[in-house]
Amino acid sequence: MNKIVLGLVLGAVLGAFDGLTAWFTPEVRSQLLGIVIGSTIKGLIAGILIGYFARKVNSLPLGILFGLGVGLILAFIVAAMPNPAGKHYYFEIMLPGSIVGMIVGYATQRFGTTPYPATR
Amino acid sequence: MHHNDHFGNRAAFPPTRGSLLVELRSENPSERQRALDTLLSVYWKPVYKYIRLKWGKDAATAEDLTQDFFAEVIERNLLDRYDPKKAKLRTYLRLCIDGLASNEHKASQRLKRGGGVQVLPLDFITAEGEVAELEIPVPGNEDDFFAREWARSIFELSLARLQQDCEERGKAIHFKLLELYDVDEGGKEITYQDAARQFGIKPSDVTNYLAYARREFRKIVLQQIRLMTASDEEYRREARALLGVEPS
Amino acid sequence: MKLTDNALERLRSAVDLPDLEGTRYRLLEKLGQGGMGGVYRVEDTMLSRDVAMKVVTAPDGDGDLAARLMREAKVIARLEHSGIVPVHDVGQFPDGRVYYTMKLVQGKRLDAYIPELGSIPERLRLLQKICDAVGFAHARGVLHRDLKPQNIMVGPFGEVLVMDWGLSKIVREQEARNTAVISPKGGDENEVTAHGTVLGTPGYMAPEQQSGSGTLDARADVFSLGAILRFLLAETADVSIAPRSRALRAIVDKATAQDPNMRYDSTAALSNDLSAYLDGLSVNAYPEGALAKLWRWAVRNRVWLLMVLAYLVMRTLFILWRTR
Repeated sequence: MNKIVLGLVLGAVLGAFDGLTAWFTPEVRSQLLGIVIGSTIKGLIAGILIGYFARKVNSLPLGILFGLGVGLILAFIVAAMPNPAGKHYYFEIMLPGSIVGMIVGYATQRFGTTPYPATR
Repeated sequence: MHHNDHFGNRAAFPPTRGSLLVELRSENPSERQRALDTLLSVYWKPVYKYIRLKWGKDAATAEDLTQDFFAEVIERNLLDRYDPKKAKLRTYLRLCIDGLASNEHKASQRLKRGGGVQVLPLDFITAEGEVAELEIPVPGNEDDFFAREWARSIFELSLARLQQDCEERGKAIHFKLLELYDVDEGGKEITYQDAARQFGIKPSDVTNYLAYARREFRKIVLQQIRLMTASDEEYRREARALLGVEPS
Repeated sequence: MKLTDNALERLRSAVDLPDLEGTRYRLLEKLGQGGMGGVYRVEDTMLSRDVAMKVVTAPDGDGDLAARLMREAKVIARLEHSGIVPVHDVGQFPDGRVYYTMKLVQGKRLDAYIPELGSIPERLRLLQKICDAVGFAHARGVLHRDLKPQNIMVGPFGEVLVMDWGLSKIVREQEARNTAVISPKGGDENEVTAHGTVLGTPGYMAPEQQSGSGTLDARADVFSLGAILRFLLAETADVSIAPRSRALRAIVDKATAQDPNMRYDSTAALSNDLSAYLDGLSVNAYPEGALAKLWRWAVRNRVWLLMVLAYLVMRTLFILWRTR
């Protein structure tokens, strides 16, 4: 599995899981499906970006840092959108989101294959 | 002894012979004499130096003891009691010297008797000069000291023989090259080119001549060791100890 | 002609030099002296290259030594591996001494190279390279039978070269046949007398090899490799091995087990355990419980485990905060 695909899959899975934890927040429980779908897509996008970065840059610390940054930014975009009650959950979304980004960053640096350059 | 010159200066190793010990016990008087000459030429200096340094005797006493020792060998057939199975010849002789030196007063009485005791023409002056450059053997290392002097004696005589042989065969330069590189001090600094120029030969000849001389030297040394040892095993051991090689 | 002590030594050395007349070799310099004989740098005039020549001083009493060395050299010549020093030629000089020539190796003997090895992992990786070379030979039916630090050279780039394949064993057998007791001249160990007693430190020879009982197999070389490993580890003051020293000691013990059936059965098995040790995995030589294995897995994956833990803790804290 190459790094981009790995990032994609891992990002989506962790994103979905992250979205599911919203069930523990009663106020948003009714929008759970939307949250999960949104979180999954967020994770997918983050995973692709982080996986692509891992393909280009071979550095575990930088990979983790990049994952942190991407997770943080995408989580901010989501958190900036108010829920129907007009509330924002910056803390609850951005912090875990950044950690998920770090996990995907680590995994894509450690695992996944890079394609060999084509020989002429 | 019928030699007119000192033993130190004479090449005493004629070509291949059997063991010295066999010759010493020969019925033929001239063969016996030849064996004694050989034994003397190899051993007299080591004996003298050993007595001087290990026993701390002064030069005059050491001379007397050396003479007396060989008188024992010649007149009292000291070597009749030698058993090759028990020890090397060299070790046996050294122990005999120890016995003699420790009973010095008896030895001096014998010499004062006069009559029937031959005085051998040995170059003690040269030997004394060599003693000055040696160190007193450390207790426990007497065998090593005696072995070293024995080796020196064998090498010196072999060199003399090699020189004689080379001159007879018209290969004097071969010997001179060996002398230059392996005997004289400072031979290492002389390049083969310089040596070639010095002797009027090609540089490649220097390598070949040197190899020839070394090869012949080894043969002569091995012959002498063969002569001085009583068995095959002793011969191999002494050759190995002296040369670090196993003779073929 | 009076000879000084220096002259005596020079003559002795000169006489010891191999007589190359009639051979295709030209003597260049003496490289060293071992228990078996001198080693020289010579020029192979036919191929215009410098090679190392080992002149064997063991007496060839029954005239068979050269033939046996030649047979062995043929076998070794088929071993083409970067870690195996090839033998080029075997012969006999006009003066009767037997010689063999081999590739001239630049580098240091392992015992001299040791101070340049820093950490334990470096030493273990070096041993793995030796295992590779020896394993290659085993796969082709060739045992070394005399592995020890003196027979291993380390090149300028850290490459490992294993020397004296089988040949030194033949020479020792020859020496043991003769009555002469070898007097060590170069600090070489594992000398054998005619009576079969091993002089010096026999620690590198497998017990079944020392006793001469039974057929030898790869495990005899494994024993020697284990002894070399012990040597490599003994020469270090690296205290960082302490936490896992039991596993490493277990590897050494298994490799040097007195009973061949208790040893690693191949150099590959030894090398694999070394790899496992280097990777922080459990080793075959030191069986661990489930808990220890779990701990080891956790330590190996501590980075992402911590991240997952951080995520879970954070989520839990948010939930608790929300539900209070």
